Amino acid sequence: MNHDVIRRTLAHRAGKGADAGALAEAAISTWHQAAVRLAPVIGAQGVEVLFRRSLHLTKATIPWLTMAVDDGNFVALLATLQARLAERDAAEALEASHLLLVNFTELLASLIGKSLTERLLAPIWTSPPRSFEEEVAR
Amino acid sequence: MIDKVVINRLATGVPGLDAILGGGLPEFSFNLIAGPPGSGKTTLAHQIMFALATPERPALFFTVLGEPPMKMLRYQQQFSFFDLAQVDKSIRFVNLSTEVSAGNFEQVLARIGKEVEAFSPALVFVDSFRSVMLEAQQQAGGTIGQQQFVQQLGIQLSGWQATSFLVGEYTPGNGMHPVFTVADGLFALAQNVHRNSMVRTIQVQKMRGQAISPGLHTFRIGSAGLEIFSSAVVPGDRAYAPQADRTTRGQARIAIGVPRLDEMLGGGLPAGYSLLVAGPSGSGKTILATAFLGEGVRLGEAGVIVAFEQTPSQSRTRAIDDMVQAGCIGLINTRSLDLSIDEIVQRLIDLIQRMKATRVVIDSLSGFELAVAPTFREDFRESLYRMVAVLSGLGVTVLMTSELEDRYTDLRFSPYGSAFLTDAIIVQRYVEVGSRLQRVMAVVKVRGSAHSNEIRQFEIGDSGIVIGDPVLDYEGLLGGRPRQTPAANNIEQGKPR
Repeated sequence: MNHDVIRRTLAHRAGKGADAGALAEAAISTWHQAAVRLAPVIGAQGVEVLFRRSLHLTKATIPWLTMAVDDGNFVALLATLQARLAERDAAEALEASHLLLVNFTELLASLIGKSLTERLLAPIWTSPPRSFEEEVAR
Repeated sequence: MIDKVVINRLATGVPGLDAILGGGLPEFSFNLIAGPPGSGKTTLAHQIMFALATPERPALFFTVLGEPPMKMLRYQQQFSFFDLAQVDKSIRFVNLSTEVSAGNFEQVLARIGKEVEAFSPALVFVDSFRSVMLEAQQQAGGTIGQQQFVQQLGIQLSGWQATSFLVGEYTPGNGMHPVFTVADGLFALAQNVHRNSMVRTIQVQKMRGQAISPGLHTFRIGSAGLEIFSSAVVPGDRAYAPQADRTTRGQARIAIGVPRLDEMLGGGLPAGYSLLVAGPSGSGKTILATAFLGEGVRLGEAGVIVAFEQTPSQSRTRAIDDMVQAGCIGLINTRSLDLSIDEIVQRLIDLIQRMKATRVVIDSLSGFELAVAPTFREDFRESLYRMVAVLSGLGVTVLMTSELEDRYTDLRFSPYGSAFLTDAIIVQRYVEVGSRLQRVMAVVKVRGSAHSNEIRQFEIGDSGIVIGDPVLDYEGLLGGRPRQTPAANNIEQGKPR
């Protein structure tokens, strides 16, 4: 899985020079899109289980992401996540959001395979910017 | 003239399934795949789906509680038919657990309806049906009962011009569920454990408008999914192109490869006949079979041998090994203990057709009986009958060997009562002559043909079987305790026979 695409998507959604609040919003909207793509396939419950596991894995590196397990359902967890992200500075928020999504996609890939994961999630990532040559060719 | 509706038949992509369905799956049929956990229901559904789905004929796969969808995707990906490129293009997975756990079946139906409308699938799968049922029972207070749910789903599914499947843990035996009435097709999967072997079976219990092959068909699940071995069907029921012209059956004679044995058979073995060679251990049955195949190879006829006992590396079968290496003979060598006879027959037919073989050896029936799963031993004789019928339908000449316990008080040709199944019988015995064990051989039967009735002594040398003169001077040979006949004394005295 190309991790740059995740970082680029977050940065793109948040906009240029975004603050932590905008980044948090971008992260949550990415999560919503992922859930929309994945829930039909692996079930809403499946998405939630993977999300919790990703949070657990990520908090080893980013302790401030720690949340109480009984923080409610997926929607409630996302709200808490958004609040946590918004409290940090922009760079920290981007880093944490990125790592959480990376852990999630890798976890999913370990279960259903890399190529199915990529296939399912491809539509939610921002397509890579065109290179200079491609731009000229147009 | 009224134009009758033409039912399209879809090729399911499951080896053997189209044959037992009577030529494929009827389009727009509403089918049920039932069976206990682990019987291969989801695999069958996926295999059919991946074979049939195209962007023009998309498939919707609804998953319901039963098995976590992540697990299903994880494990089903291991099969070679699982083509990732089809996911989201021609195949969509839709999880219904939220609707089902809410217990409102109108909602479940509505969601299925909505998805079907949006995607216009040509194929719809609902896995698993039983979870829907169980949930329905728990939520008895729901707005519609499970009966209505199933019936409505059935009606909806057939109205959508979709070929649909309900997958469910379900034993058709316990009471007639309304879904059985609604369904056009019913596939029952089972796994039978007997002693230490497990055999998977599939039965098409119902398929509207199709001449199905009823009965239990065994199947295996390998890396490519299910492979079904349809029960050997007596020819006429199913069209296998005969290898040889059947009109020549019994007319042309083929050389058996043992000097003088052809004479004893009345001028060679009639082509297309089945020959049983019965004898005790070490009497030379395999050597005779080897000679039979070797003669075929010499004449440019391919052969196939199904060996159950000796490994090809053993020196006895060196000759066979060489012929196999040279590609003149096809070998099926198996010592697996959970085979079904149908599986062997299927492999045999494939090999015969591929090699264009005209001579077939089964060495031996005793080994065959040991190799088939215990479940099938009871029916061994019936299965043998079907196998012989199928092979004779193919027009091949078959030589089967059979181990005989040496009993001197009775004369038996085979332990299976299979003697009547074959067209010709050669029996080999040991006899005691002059304090030595000698081998004798006799042709017991050649259907519709004159043959020798002599008992001949034979020896096994480096070049194979050498048949000697008739044993005229002894009687009671088959009883194992021969006595010199008075005629023998006459011969000794120089009198004419």
